[in-house]
Amino acid sequence: MDGFGGTTLRINLSTEEIERTPTDPELARNWLGARGFVSKILYDEVPRDADPMGPDNRFIVTTGVLTGSFCPVGSKVGFGCISPATNGHADSSMGGHLGPELRYAGYDLIVMEGIAARPSYLYIDDDTVELRPAGDYWGMGSLELEERMKKDLGEDFQIATIGPSGENGIVFSCITHDFGRQAGRCGVGAVMGSKKLKAIAVRGTKSLPAHDLESHWNLTYDILQRTKTHPNMAPWQKYGTAFFVGWSNERGCFPTKNFQETYHKDWEKIDGERLVEDCLVSDKACFGCWMNCGKYTRARIPGKPDTYQEGPEYETIALVGGSCAFTDINHVAYANYLLDNIGMDTMSGGSTVAFAMECYQRGIITKDDLEGHELRWGNIDDFEHFVGMIAERRGVGDTFALGTKGAAEILGQGTIAFASQAKGMEFSGYDTRWYPAQLLSYCTCDIGAHHSKSWTITTDIELGRDTIEGKAPVVIYLQHIRPLFDTWSCCRLFWGELDVTPEEHVESIRYLTGWDITLDECMRVSERVWNLNRAHYIERNGGPGRRFDVAPARHLDEPIPDGPAEGKVVGRENFEAMLDDYYANRGWDRNGNPTREVLEDLGIGYAADNLEKLGHLGEPIPGGIPKVRGQKLKPKAM
Amino acid sequence: MVIYLRSGGKLRDRLKPDVDIYTRKVEVEGTPTLKEILEQLGIPDGLVAFAFADGKVRRLNYRPAEGDVVTLQPPVSGG
Ligand code: SF4
Repeated sequence: MDGFGGTTLRINLSTEEIERTPTDPELARNWLGARGFVSKILYDEVPRDADPMGPDNRFIVTTGVLTGSFCPVGSKVGFGCISPATNGHADSSMGGHLGPELRYAGYDLIVMEGIAARPSYLYIDDDTVELRPAGDYWGMGSLELEERMKKDLGEDFQIATIGPSGENGIVFSCITHDFGRQAGRCGVGAVMGSKKLKAIAVRGTKSLPAHDLESHWNLTYDILQRTKTHPNMAPWQKYGTAFFVGWSNERGCFPTKNFQETYHKDWEKIDGERLVEDCLVSDKACFGCWMNCGKYTRARIPGKPDTYQEGPEYETIALVGGSCAFTDINHVAYANYLLDNIGMDTMSGGSTVAFAMECYQRGIITKDDLEGHELRWGNIDDFEHFVGMIAERRGVGDTFALGTKGAAEILGQGTIAFASQAKGMEFSGYDTRWYPAQLLSYCTCDIGAHHSKSWTITTDIELGRDTIEGKAPVVIYLQHIRPLFDTWSCCRLFWGELDVTPEEHVESIRYLTGWDITLDECMRVSERVWNLNRAHYIERNGGPGRRFDVAPARHLDEPIPDGPAEGKVVGRENFEAMLDDYYANRGWDRNGNPTREVLEDLGIGYAADNLEKLGHLGEPIPGGIPKVRGQKLKPKAM
Repeated sequence: MVIYLRSGGKLRDRLKPDVDIYTRKVEVEGTPTLKEILEQLGIPDGLVAFAFADGKVRRLNYRPAEGDVVTLQPPVSGG
């Protein structure tokens, strides 16, 4: 099959059986890869009552149709499972080199089930596929282990690892590769750890068959020439995403002190310029990328060892730097290292520590709970000690190992009001109280709150931050177009920042695969995935769907105390009205349940049958469902 | 005075480039700030994260000089 490695691996970790099958052409065409593969496989194979940390959950490593191709930039690899944080579909991707390497070894997809009898790692060297004992790798930090495995196996192996956090089932554990690229979200590292899988090592030396290599290459060459002089290139190469701290702060959406505030008075001490001035060692790029947005840095703190890490990028600066109220970029970079090496997502990890800091501020947890330590805003020693408590699940660390929602359910005392999460996953680094579409995006997101599936801060600015009008259809459009890049498995930034159009990506797919495919068809796949994930979530957690699209009370009721967004808050009425609008525009009923009409239109009528059996199929919509679901933002008259 | 504004991404359509696909020649009176120039062009300043001129980062209170080439960087979602 042109454009694909050709082989799917099925591994039963309990029995150590390894099965090779040709990658299913129908699966490839209907679901396109990565996020799409994950959606379909989880829906078809995971029993609805399966424990996310148990043997019946699947742990999926997957490429997409563009992984390893010349299309800018096919650097991504996806991981999927039922999330221990949300109890729903999880997909999380990362750049680096692992995805292309897997394709060059001949594999498109690896589906694992069961639990290994002993800590193991997956070794792939072209046609050799083995489960090997992890031995003393178990217990090592993610970054340290990658270095060690490269020494043991060879520099040309691409390695993905989990840290102690994943081994110990912390629900926001990540998978790390290339010394700082993470599949961070949804707790994919916790599920990998629950399978007793410490690492994946891959070397591939084959090539990817292409339908029309010359046209595929020529298209990329033209894009390369055009984007070299793109105005965004130089700032991106210099700062990466870290630069947006100042902008976000000035717009009143920079999470500060666990989202109590949205303006960090000392932002200039932790922004991109400071990072480049104080910490930058070198730029860093993923496979095939000429933008190199990665920043490899050194953190220097007197009395602590120097650390080297990739980042912090914007999200880490926001959710570790801002939300934990640090005032020194070296401290943020050091915290970044701690979380990366221990194997925690810097976003949910930073948010969970910030949430605990607010609990400490309010006297809900005290020094007695913290082994005699404090947990003060902006204190790196307190941060380090507390992260250790979580990773080892010591004392109250065991409570916070469940993330903010899980911890709030145990702590009670109204703490759930200031847990900024949706469906159990922590918000990305943007406050929503002046950005209602962003709140809607987080709360309706199929994997829990994550900006990668819909980021609408500029949409809110364009349409007016004090209004909710016309925002739901734009959120839906974004929820289809943005995750498409996770499905194709390529970097979204070339679209967002360098004006490489989605149509050009589709053209690239056509040359690569020989498929007669259009952007409309790809968008339908993306909508199919969204709806299947919704059905799956309801089947696992019960209905109605609206019950789960819940916003934290802080973002609904608590006006921002000061800064550029002072006094702003979304309000419950507005939020509910946006949800009504959102469901109507999706072709779901008022309870947030997908209707048969929309599911059949997307070719997944079987999900309607399953929802109907459970009594959670959406009521038919009088007048029928909208023909087109979602609307691209039309900028106001220029 | 004449300055040149460059932009890509979502801002490019707003800018209406006329020199090349990314660049617009803009005539301004006096020495206005970038914020004032954006106002004159009808571009919401919330859509500009920062500017880049002479290899340096510039805020919206920057006053370009004659012939300056200023890149307007749109905001993006983080990594
Ligand atoms: S732009 Fe950044 S994230 Fe995207 S491929 Fe390049 S280095 Fe990787």
